[in-house]
Amino acid sequence: MTPREFDIGLHVLDHQLLDRNGRRCGNVDDLAIEGGPGETPEVVAILVGPGHWGPRAGWVGRLAGWIGGGKKGRVDWSEVEKVDSAVHLRREAPELGLGSGDDRLRPYFEKIPGAGS
Amino acid sequence: MSKVLGLALGILAAIGGFVDIGDLVFNTAAGATFGYQLVWVIPVGVLGIIVYSEMCGRVAAVSGKAVFDAVRERVGFKAALGALVSSEIVNLMTLACELGGVAIVLQLLAGLPYRWLIVIAAVAFMVIIWVTSFEWLERLFGYGGLCMLVFAVAAVKLGPDWAKVGSGFVPHIAQNNSTLYLYFVIGLLGAAMTPYEVYFYSSGGVEERWTPKDIRMNQANAIVGYGLGGTLSVALMIVGATVFLGHGISPEHLGTIALGAGDPLGKVGLLLALVGILFAVGGASIDTVFSGAYNLAQFCGWEWGRYRHPKGAPRFTLTWIVLLVLAAAIVMTGVDPVTLTEYAVIFSVVALPLTYIPILLVANDRAYMGRYGNGRLANALGLVYLVVIMIVAVSAVPLMILTNAGQN
Repeated sequence: MTPREFDIGLHVLDHQLLDRNGRRCGNVDDLAIEGGPGETPEVVAILVGPGHWGPRAGWVGRLAGWIGGGKKGRVDWSEVEKVDSAVHLRREAPELGLGSGDDRLRPYFEKIPGAGS
Repeated sequence: MSKVLGLALGILAAIGGFVDIGDLVFNTAAGATFGYQLVWVIPVGVLGIIVYSEMCGRVAAVSGKAVFDAVRERVGFKAALGALVSSEIVNLMTLACELGGVAIVLQLLAGLPYRWLIVIAAVAFMVIIWVTSFEWLERLFGYGGLCMLVFAVAAVKLGPDWAKVGSGFVPHIAQNNSTLYLYFVIGLLGAAMTPYEVYFYSSGGVEERWTPKDIRMNQANAIVGYGLGGTLSVALMIVGATVFLGHGISPEHLGTIALGAGDPLGKVGLLLALVGILFAVGGASIDTVFSGAYNLAQFCGWEWGRYRHPKGAPRFTLTWIVLLVLAAAIVMTGVDPVTLTEYAVIFSVVALPLTYIPILLVANDRAYMGRYGNGRLANALGLVYLVVIMIVAVSAVPLMILTNAGQN
């Protein structure tokens, strides 16, 4: 394995997503891969959210995914800046439709003193 | 000075993890039941937790990954979900125990009704966590827990038969009641290597923004912190053996354990013991509530950490608040925290392999550990302890059933 190659099963799937500001905004819950028989398969997008990871673990996973809200997100592979111990994205989380759970909850905590700047 | 303060993570992880309510109960009860015959289990457990804490601390320093990130990446999604569910249940049970322990000690110190004190303790924790930085949480509970050293003084003052204590360091199986003896061996190992210790320790390394420069600090934290925890465990066992064994008392109440220090050292000893226990179980409450929130956030990929402030990590913040409310509700039902502790320790043992295997795998991954990957010593010890963990995990529940949770 040359330094520029990596095992997508081991070093991409289930890894942390970081937006351009280093904000944690989800995990690589699944990958969209295109290419039929005889063609070279190509990773086209990162799939994010309970709606994507649920089906990976049978009925327990589906139940957990349903409890988690079943949200589905998709980030084009072209948005990936680099892959090291995490997957770094080129843009900010809200632009990519990520981290909305934290963004929805934030206003409630902001009203309490000491919630941070 | 900053070097000494830098050891706070290790000390809190050790005092709050190693000498939490489970260890207080298991160590003192082990001494009260088997004298010094179980002392050897403590260094075995201490070395195991040092090996794996050092490993996951190093992974955190080099790659910024905490334990549950590694779990999700390495054991497959299904097993990771299983690990998440079981660890969250055990974390919540343990948190409930510790919170109950805090309320018991406050009751002994202040004398208010127990249920009121549970609510007061839970609210106090919410306020303390909200207003205090991670570093100061560590220092407050870690150094406050050092009052527990009174048990070491008590152990020496009680004048135990040191030759017998020494022979207890040699591994052996007790002749009489060997099933109960084995139950204690498993319980002591489980209490020493409780998974939440590594969840908290590794995420704590990220909270403190460790980099590869801090690898020495990580080693020092693991060795000094857990070494100290182990010393306290030996002291508790000696106190259990000298104060309670001769009199047929089984220390089933936290206050009884504190009396162990009060016996040789009088009122001051008793007070220091109670304050020490308060900070130790308080620290363990912090460890477990944060571990629960860290694990869920890391599994889901949410922003996490006290260092991000509530505003920067809202779902993480909501999770620890909900966990505190649930834990308070559990102890409010009147379940005895000490009994619940034994169940929590034994069930946590089942989750051990799913926690420790991914740490070993990630610490060996040169792709992002580079030259900081595991050396031969870390791998050899890691593998030996993996075998120990497997044996413990398989035998925990059968032994619990056979001994009726240590009651016979």
